Amino acid sequence: MEETVITSLPRRKRFSLGSLFTKKDIPFAIGCPALVWHSLFFYLPLLIMILSSVFDLSESGSFQGFTLKHFLAVQNVAHFRIIFKSIGIAFLTAILCFVIAFPCAYFLAFKGGRYKTLLLFFLIVPFWTNFLLHVCAWFFVLERNGFLNNLLLSLNLIGEPIHFLNSFFAIILMMVYHYLLFMILPIYSSLEKFNLFLFEASSDLGATKLQTFKRILLPLTLPAIRLGFLLVYIPAFGEFVIPELMGGDKAYYAGNVVSQYVLGNYTAPLGAAFTLMGACILMVSIGLLLWIFKRISKSLGGLSV
Amino acid sequence: MLYSKVKSFSAVTNFSIVLLTFLFLYTPIVVLFIFSFNSKAFPAPWDSFTLYWYHELFQSTELWLSFKNSLIVATLSTLLSLTMGMLLIFFRTSGGNIHKFLPMFYGTLVIPETVLAVSLLAFFSLFSIPLGLPTIVASHTVLGLGFVIPVVYTRYLELDPKLQEASLILGASPTQTFFRITLPLLRPALLATGLLIFIISFDDFILTYFCSGTAFQTLSIYLFTTIRSGISPIVNALSVFLLALTSLLVMCFFSPKIRTRIF
Repeated sequence: MEETVITSLPRRKRFSLGSLFTKKDIPFAIGCPALVWHSLFFYLPLLIMILSSVFDLSESGSFQGFTLKHFLAVQNVAHFRIIFKSIGIAFLTAILCFVIAFPCAYFLAFKGGRYKTLLLFFLIVPFWTNFLLHVCAWFFVLERNGFLNNLLLSLNLIGEPIHFLNSFFAIILMMVYHYLLFMILPIYSSLEKFNLFLFEASSDLGATKLQTFKRILLPLTLPAIRLGFLLVYIPAFGEFVIPELMGGDKAYYAGNVVSQYVLGNYTAPLGAAFTLMGACILMVSIGLLLWIFKRISKSLGGLSV
Repeated sequence: MLYSKVKSFSAVTNFSIVLLTFLFLYTPIVVLFIFSFNSKAFPAPWDSFTLYWYHELFQSTELWLSFKNSLIVATLSTLLSLTMGMLLIFFRTSGGNIHKFLPMFYGTLVIPETVLAVSLLAFFSLFSIPLGLPTIVASHTVLGLGFVIPVVYTRYLELDPKLQEASLILGASPTQTFFRITLPLLRPALLATGLLIFIISFDDFILTYFCSGTAFQTLSIYLFTTIRSGISPIVNALSVFLLALTSLLVMCFFSPKIRTRIF
């Protein structure tokens, strides 16, 4: 009796999840809400936005055919200048974030010791509060009688208060403050997984610290740096709240133009055309950024991923 | 030996940069905190200590209404995106191939939020959908799905398939296996991403600004209009309150039960 039981059990054959039940146990319908939702509220709106920029609509909203007039209306030197200014500020933000984030992530990952979690906690808390409150907080620091002016005055570094608010400086400061964590976290988590024996091996084989950094550490964290750049660069391009609140009337970036067109009366198609134009230039610039990263990765040589 | 070399890899400069970073992050917050007790409003210098603004904070009805709205939006969009994400994973456990759909959810990472907001507004106005709570929840859920699905799916792939196989071999149905094996194993990832989406939705400004219409106000919109018309120390008091609340949430995020890799 016992013999038969044993022989009836498959001995060698491995079970795989797929073979244990057929697909009709759980129909596709159960899995698809997420797909439907994303198609309906992400891809369809994008398509509609693209179409609305080429549709010629009459006053009453009826369809009259395709047109390029919206694009012709928004393509002028001033608009292109604004788009490139946005690209510039987004890139500058990303670079500054990287310069601050890399040493910070490095310290947290390798030298945090038992304070690692605590430091990480204090790093995350500010970023999880509403960023409009940060804007408000910086007003207190930067304004004429504010903390920074008082500090500089009491140190005798400046003779009279400086106007920090409503300037390019204020915008860049706020942008870096707002996007810093998106750069720190990917780099930190990449460094944390870093195999410390590679340092050992590198120095045993006679490499200097700079060589180790350039040929071991940097190539291995480059994918994380690239991710950080994208996480900062892309949203910073579309940012319109920070320039509006910190930059005063002079600051005018792509996001501001978009919000003004789209929320204005009857200018939504122009807004769509401008958004599309900006998004295309953004995509090209992202391609360029990725290409630069590829070149850096190649020129560093050493370990590559 | 090993650690001493790593330690010597970089000098004191490293530490000072970290110190400066934390100074950069916390100076405005500390100043904000101190000035929440100032008896004179912005931009007056320090006058005298008062708790008046905290009293005012808890009296303001408009503020708490928008706070409540933000909570509703964040809760709904978190629940929706977690449920839909889980259903997709449930479908995957039956051997359904969702791998080819995965790149679809990375779209929110590549498209700036402003572009998404503009598109959604065009979409809603084309179909004459009135702006309000449903439209905000719909838009925030899109953001949420962009986080839930990649993160939870990656964690799912890292699970030991033997556990599910064992459950199935021992006679549990796929549904039982999912609810009693897979889901408990994924709980940390689900809680962590849930918390993250909640915060993102609660603090979101751009999508809310475009999709909220005029009647519905969340906390971000309220703050934006307040800051534009001049800062009241009530906002300081509010941020102290919110910082305390956030610290609590981040502590949950760091608790060993929830802790998981997001990036």
